[in-house]
Amino acid sequence: MSAYELQVVSVDGLEFDGEVQRVTLRTIDGDVAILARHTNYCTAVGMGTAKVILPDNTERRAACIGGMISVMNGKCRILPTTWEWSSEIDVERAERARDRAKEKLADATLSREARAHAQAKLYRALVRLQSAGK
Amino acid sequence: MAAANMKAVKLRIKSVENTMQITKAMQLVAASKLRKAKEKADETKPYLDTLKATLTDIANGNTDFQSPYTKEGTNEKWLYIVIAGDRGLAGGYNANLFRFMDAQSRGRDITALPLGKKAVDYLRHRQIPILTEEFAEVGSITVSDCFEIARLVCAEYRKGEFGHVMMCYTNFVSMLSQVPQAVSMLPLSDFRSGENPQQGPRDLILYEPDSETVFNAIAPEYLAGLVYSSVKLSVASELAARRTAMESATDNAEEMISDLNLYYNRARQASITQEITEIVAGAEEP
Repeated sequence: MSAYELQVVSVDGLEFDGEVQRVTLRTIDGDVAILARHTNYCTAVGMGTAKVILPDNTERRAACIGGMISVMNGKCRILPTTWEWSSEIDVERAERARDRAKEKLADATLSREARAHAQAKLYRALVRLQSAGK
Repeated sequence: MAAANMKAVKLRIKSVENTMQITKAMQLVAASKLRKAKEKADETKPYLDTLKATLTDIANGNTDFQSPYTKEGTNEKWLYIVIAGDRGLAGGYNANLFRFMDAQSRGRDITALPLGKKAVDYLRHRQIPILTEEFAEVGSITVSDCFEIARLVCAEYRKGEFGHVMMCYTNFVSMLSQVPQAVSMLPLSDFRSGENPQQGPRDLILYEPDSETVFNAIAPEYLAGLVYSSVKLSVASELAARRTAMESATDNAEEMISDLNLYYNRARQASITQEITEIVAGAEEP
């Protein structure tokens, strides 16, 4: 399969820059996979596990949350709010975050804002755990 | 007379030495903070560059003007996000930025959102309307603050309070050179590269699910990203500017002390010579 150029840049720095065969990630509109020679494309990134297939067929996973993805003239750029490679994810911390968020959500008297906040935290923790687990 | 003069010089040397101690300490503090800030700035720089490049590409290719974020400026009110420092004694860091902003915004109807205490002071002094002072301390701004700023700006923009949003910050070019810069943030069409208006057929872009949803989702994100990385660059610039300013202040103090020492020694010698002359003159009398 032919490869194309992918750049992943988050506020924490350049996460990836090189050739890939395919990248799969969750956008606000569902999962997409970008292959070589994709048309010019732009959408917002949701929350989910991103899979990057390198030219030698190895797969790398990452927790990818928020931001945007664009394909312009054959070059793909992902600008996520957070991007953590599965090897960098602190599983224990994510588990703690998940349990804390669940505890909070169990409280029925929570205000709507606080509930949304806890919900978002829970989703983030779940995405991290999902991305870390093979 | 000579003795009184010598005493004054001695005092002056002491006072310059004290000042030098302070400038030296500030220089060292700025230098050590700078190392960390520079790392942070270097980390965010690729993000800022890529973000700008992507947005310029999209703006150049965009043929959709449904979303409020892509519509050409509908009114001539400008919001300026001004990122300056919290403290002075950083050479021309703050002054350069404000001068640059004034030149940029001349003749425009502007409101400002200051980040940094110096920016708040300056805008108040100039009586430019301020959107919010909530984020006055630039040193303690976090990613979530940036998202809050972005949400606030987007909300105001969608209400039609402003037709354009710009940001003024100081770019960290190198340890010795920091340049004030302005970047357009909204609407997206302001990103279009001026010298290269698209001619001929444009590359169409596929937006999924549709352009309005996409822009509504990404505009706050990219605003926050732009603000965050610019804050990091500005903080590094401020420290670099302060280090340079304090370095030259220390050098000047050193020079002054050596001049004063020379003067003091001359005065001392002159007074001794005079005393000897007086004694000799007295002794010659029978």
